[in-house]
Amino acid sequence: MSTQKASRIGEEIWKTRIDKVNAELVTLTYGTIVAQLCQDYDSNYQEVNKQLDKMGYNIGMRLIEDFLAKSGVGRCANFRETADMIAKVGFKIFLNVAPTVTNWTSDNNQFSLIFDDNPLADFVELPDDGRAQDELWFSNILCGVLRGALEMVQMQIEAHFVSDVLRGDDTTEMRVSLVRYIEDEMPPEDD
Amino acid sequence: MTVYSFYIFDRHAECIYKRRWLPRPASLKSPGGPELGQTMRTGDDDAKLVFGTVFSLRNMVRKLGGEDDNFVSYTTSQYKLHYYETPTNIKFVMLTDIKSPSMRIALQQIYINLFVEYVVKNPLSPVEHPGGLGVNNELFEESLEQFVQTRVLA
Repeated sequence: MSTQKASRIGEEIWKTRIDKVNAELVTLTYGTIVAQLCQDYDSNYQEVNKQLDKMGYNIGMRLIEDFLAKSGVGRCANFRETADMIAKVGFKIFLNVAPTVTNWTSDNNQFSLIFDDNPLADFVELPDDGRAQDELWFSNILCGVLRGALEMVQMQIEAHFVSDVLRGDDTTEMRVSLVRYIEDEMPPEDD
Repeated sequence: MTVYSFYIFDRHAECIYKRRWLPRPASLKSPGGPELGQTMRTGDDDAKLVFGTVFSLRNMVRKLGGEDDNFVSYTTSQYKLHYYETPTNIKFVMLTDIKSPSMRIALQQIYINLFVEYVVKNPLSPVEHPGGLGVNNELFEESLEQFVQTRVLA
């Protein structure tokens, strides 16, 4: 399946099958969660990143079912197709953004998602405590979502942000690596 | 048509939901105890047997027909088994009488309109469903009952 085709599918589903909510509601709700975590963990940003990733993981494991139910797409033939599906269909229908897929490694197991637009980070300015700029990945929940969702379709991946415009970088970039395809589980042996 | 039973298996090969409507066809039951080659089974055993069957059949179909191939149903002289599997490896199985039309679309609808809506999207239900936890909620069961009823009457 080509990138264009994935874009068309994403566009179509977004237009016809998605209930829309107010963007500010999403931004503010997410912002509140991050702010609360920063408070709860006493600005230990490594821990905040970890918690966001964990929340995302739990969301992803459910969201994938909704994704499949809405899109009706089948299994991807390879990891490149998976990347397009994530960027052009997944992100499109849930966040109405379509990050660019780029920077593939030659073995086709690692790619980057470049976000031109990130609805989670609207209105956000990182705390000016000299550490948040270097330690907090504000949108880290997205990494967890991808990890959880792909695990359910038999792919173990690793995802992390490498740059964020909130930190003053030029782009917001997430790196995604395929660790392995997960084998089907067998039923337990009868005793 | 008649629906005999319905099973859902998760990605850990566990039966997370089962439901039986009518006793199996009379000819399968012998009045005076098990027939030759047929031993008494409990509902649990049934689920295990069904899983073993669809699991092996699916793997064989894939070996012969390629990774994307999948079987839709099989028919014996007594019943028809319908099968639908999601990319997340959740397996939906329905046993009906042999005259029933293909239930593949129906199983897909159960996944999309009932399972995802009432089980997956329930924020308080667990993500995994060990022992059927979270699947046996009222909304899901009632809607399933209704869904099957309309099919049976149609």
